[in-house]
Amino acid sequence: MDMTTILFYILAIAIVVFSLGVVMTANPIFSALFLALTMVTLAFVYFLLNAPFIAGVQLIVYAGAVVVLFVMVMMLFDLKQEKEAFTKGKFTGFLKIASAGWLCGLIAGAIYMSTEMVVSGNQILDVNKASTKILAKELFSNYVFAFEALGILLLLIAVGAVSISRIKGGTHAK
Amino acid sequence: MLSNYIQVSLEHYLILSAIIFTIGMMGVLMRKNILVMLMGIELMLNGVNLSFVAFSYYTGNLNGQIMVFFVMTVAAAEAGVGLALAVTIFKKFKTINIQFFEKLKG
Repeated sequence: MDMTTILFYILAIAIVVFSLGVVMTANPIFSALFLALTMVTLAFVYFLLNAPFIAGVQLIVYAGAVVVLFVMVMMLFDLKQEKEAFTKGKFTGFLKIASAGWLCGLIAGAIYMSTEMVVSGNQILDVNKASTKILAKELFSNYVFAFEALGILLLLIAVGAVSISRIKGGTHAK
Repeated sequence: MLSNYIQVSLEHYLILSAIIFTIGMMGVLMRKNILVMLMGIELMLNGVNLSFVAFSYYTGNLNGQIMVFFVMTVAAAEAGVGLALAVTIFKKFKTINIQFFEKLKG
């Protein structure tokens, strides 16, 4: 058992525990905290998979920007009392958990049966082939149109988010 | 025999990503708070990202990492719009329960 294996199992258990914490805690602030921990742990997993650029972006965008955005919006709300954190109904709750578990088992079975077809032989991505420089060259040559479209999307989202949060009237205005 | 299963391979990463995806789905299905539902969506997107990076590593192909970059940007945009909607709901109904989504028109 080498170092990578031990590290993977520790990180995997931490990720599962933290992401269960996101879903299970009744207080949204603790959910945001667990979300940040999940993101940071996932960034370490990306380091294990020879993707340092993606790990850095994960730390900056997710653990930085998105979680801070969540906490900022939470500050605007009055979240002192939350009596019903979970949806009502024992039977429907059981159905939801059962369907989630069933989906997970289905995916796991599909993975178990099909990875032999996808991955053939040893062609693991080495560090020299996956450097940030090569990634940037790929991004700005083959994927430049998608990159520019992403810029337009972000501009639209910035304008749209401001205009949505400024809605006052409408048919149901009080 | 057992060491074959313990040795980390593509299957391990994919199953971890499936578990993260399922936990995120449970969060979306079972919570009433819009913020926690959005966090569940973020968890689902992260599970998909992990499988992208794992495939990229085990097939020696860099395209998966570029796709992860795009998914991250779209996820951040989605969080922005979702939180704007949550702010709108809170301004009108003074709570962020998901059941007020249907009353949000115009």
